[in-house]
Amino acid sequence: MTSMPVESPPKRATLRHRLFRTLSGEYFWLYLLLLPSLLILVAVILIPMLFAFQMSLGNTSIVVLGGRGTISNQWVGLQNYLSLLQNPIFWQALRETLYFWVVSIFIEVTVGIGMAVLMNQSFFGRRIFRVIVFIPWAIPTVVNAMLWGMIFDGDNFGALNDLLLQWHVIQSPIVWLNPSALFPQIPWLSNALSYLGSNLAMNSIIVGDEWKTLPIVAILVLAGLQTIPHEYYEAARVEGASAWRQFRQITLPLIAPVLTVVLILRTMQLMRAFTLIFTLEQFGLPVLSIQAYQQAFSFGSFGMGSAVSFLIGLIALVIAYFYIKRLYREEL
Amino acid sequence: MRNKWTKVLMSAMSASLLLTGASSAAMAKAKAAPQPVVLKVLYMSQQGYSTTVLNKMGAEFHKEHPNVTIEFTFLPYPQLHSAILTSAAAPVAQYDVVLSDLIWTGEFAAKGYTVPLNNYIRQYIKNPKGIPQSVWNGLSVGGKVMAMPFLANFQNFYYNKKMLAEAGFKSGPKTMAQWLHQMEVLKAKHIVQYPYEDSWLQAEGLVCDYVRTAGEFGNGNLFNAKGQPIMNQGAALKALEWMRMLYKDGLANPNSLAADEPTAANAFASGQAAFNTNWTFVTGIMNNKSESKIVGQGVVSGFPVAPGTNRATLSASISGFQGLAIAANTPASLKPWAWKWIQFATSPAVQAQHLHSEWPIWSSVATSPQEKHLNPWYKVYQQNLNAVYNRPAVSNYLTVSSIIQQYVHEAISGTIPVKTAANDMVQQIESLPK
Repeated sequence: MTSMPVESPPKRATLRHRLFRTLSGEYFWLYLLLLPSLLILVAVILIPMLFAFQMSLGNTSIVVLGGRGTISNQWVGLQNYLSLLQNPIFWQALRETLYFWVVSIFIEVTVGIGMAVLMNQSFFGRRIFRVIVFIPWAIPTVVNAMLWGMIFDGDNFGALNDLLLQWHVIQSPIVWLNPSALFPQIPWLSNALSYLGSNLAMNSIIVGDEWKTLPIVAILVLAGLQTIPHEYYEAARVEGASAWRQFRQITLPLIAPVLTVVLILRTMQLMRAFTLIFTLEQFGLPVLSIQAYQQAFSFGSFGMGSAVSFLIGLIALVIAYFYIKRLYREEL
Repeated sequence: MRNKWTKVLMSAMSASLLLTGASSAAMAKAKAAPQPVVLKVLYMSQQGYSTTVLNKMGAEFHKEHPNVTIEFTFLPYPQLHSAILTSAAAPVAQYDVVLSDLIWTGEFAAKGYTVPLNNYIRQYIKNPKGIPQSVWNGLSVGGKVMAMPFLANFQNFYYNKKMLAEAGFKSGPKTMAQWLHQMEVLKAKHIVQYPYEDSWLQAEGLVCDYVRTAGEFGNGNLFNAKGQPIMNQGAALKALEWMRMLYKDGLANPNSLAADEPTAANAFASGQAAFNTNWTFVTGIMNNKSESKIVGQGVVSGFPVAPGTNRATLSASISGFQGLAIAANTPASLKPWAWKWIQFATSPAVQAQHLHSEWPIWSSVATSPQEKHLNPWYKVYQQNLNAVYNRPAVSNYLTVSSIIQQYVHEAISGTIPVKTAANDMVQQIESLPK
């Protein structure tokens, strides 16, 4: 009589075994090579972000005790966020930030794609043109701010005023960097635009910012355009598709992934735009990033400053989500 | 044999004694030589006491104390406060000595970011009365001197005598009414489109101009003795109405609302304004051929004031004093050296070497033959220095200042009526947490 061998149930792998298998298996080198990058990301992004979030939930101030500086953080929960949401100055800053973003993105999508389409055509001197177009992007932001400060100077010797005065377009210099209301002769329109965050200084700054950032948008879109096979357009032409239909049904869907990346990147940059605005206006145009800086570094209220920063991040995240949902998934 | 070993032993002992002695001498010598010290100093990048001047001072100090090296960090003014704050948050100070503006005195004293210097001053400054009391007042709070005066900056009244002569005036205005009249005539005769340009950009400079203008109307104190804001009454309200009127009537250049101090100074130096109220650096600019189109035309003067006010000084200026302070989290071993540097840089001897750059804080240097020779306006400088008003010495000054900036800017540009702006300003400041 032989006894049937009884199959013992498979032993459940312990955590140690699983970890060992993972690290020693085919992924060993993968994890090893990723480790330095992961450590850097944790050290310079994750930990500071968690620390900033903790500060945003506290009444944070700098104190020097016994000759040693430190940051004291008294837990207040969501108080900083609630105070912000109840403050009309925050809402005005939010409207100004959103205006800055909407107008800038509109210019970038329309003019940026137009520039990219133009640079994608064959014409004499195309390479030189592409290099020239890219130059503004290479200029440091502070230098760009100083440059536009001189162009927009409100005295007679401001470059733009000088030009417009010489051409008799204007009778007296315009103070381009003064956040004055637009169309003051039409009160309802002036008030509505001011409420939405639009004023002379804001629009002047958008021009200065776009001059610098349009090239990178155009170059990225151009990279997307160059991946579209010519055969698609040839086939469309054979079918009798108009230029607009070719653009709408071939170009736009195929550059959608690049456009998504560009839009997300630019939204993040526009939401936290600081250097140009602060250099030219200091606290005169209090968009959210200026408010965050002022709260933290002028008023010493790091908790409130962190709360503003997290709200900026949250808004950018929501916008990015809609970009991905609308452009990336549907079109591919 | 025994003798031989004794000799060897004796020789070894002698040698070791010799070596020990030599090394002890070397140790003693090393102990006597001071340890190398690096002092990190935060200063402002500006004209006047410029990067070059400060580096020169640092090199002179190093000559006197070869073991001490001064390492400067120069930042623009708007970045100084945040740099001091972040340095204070570190366990050990990033900057041992910092340039402290008088408007931060209350905050730094309340939060303990810098140390009071009373003991050092009592021990090492032989003649503290040699520095005008107005300067000490600006850098002290509750009897604590939070910074040693270094920069006696204040505003002067500048006018273009050629333009005034063309308009038929032999001298600058003494009263506010005279000043208004001169501006109106200059404009009516088309001698200059906008007679006056000031720095009314929504920044700290605007508060300085507001306080000074209130001073010209008799009281530049924006808070009363009980610590309550009083911008909606008396001189402060008149000042706001005055600034709005100048803008509305086209007497002040509209660009003032977007101009900082250098921009306003450039407008004056390029002959686009007949008047400028600005810091002392304008004196150098207006007579510098490479920067000015009005060389020899600019005059430095006391400020016009409302009749019956400011009787002691017949002027009303604004202080922009800055001092050198020791960070509270500077290591104890470095603090004596930090003070030595402060004492050196603020000493009459060193300030006398740099009279081209700044007005000295020491009265003895300010009245020296050298200064009189270099600065023909020295009497006016003294007059305006004695006539300064200080911005409010409150611990939450920067928050208060941001409210003042916002409402004054809106009142001048006409976004909201002057009276409403003044009332809202007061109400918002009163609602701040104490």
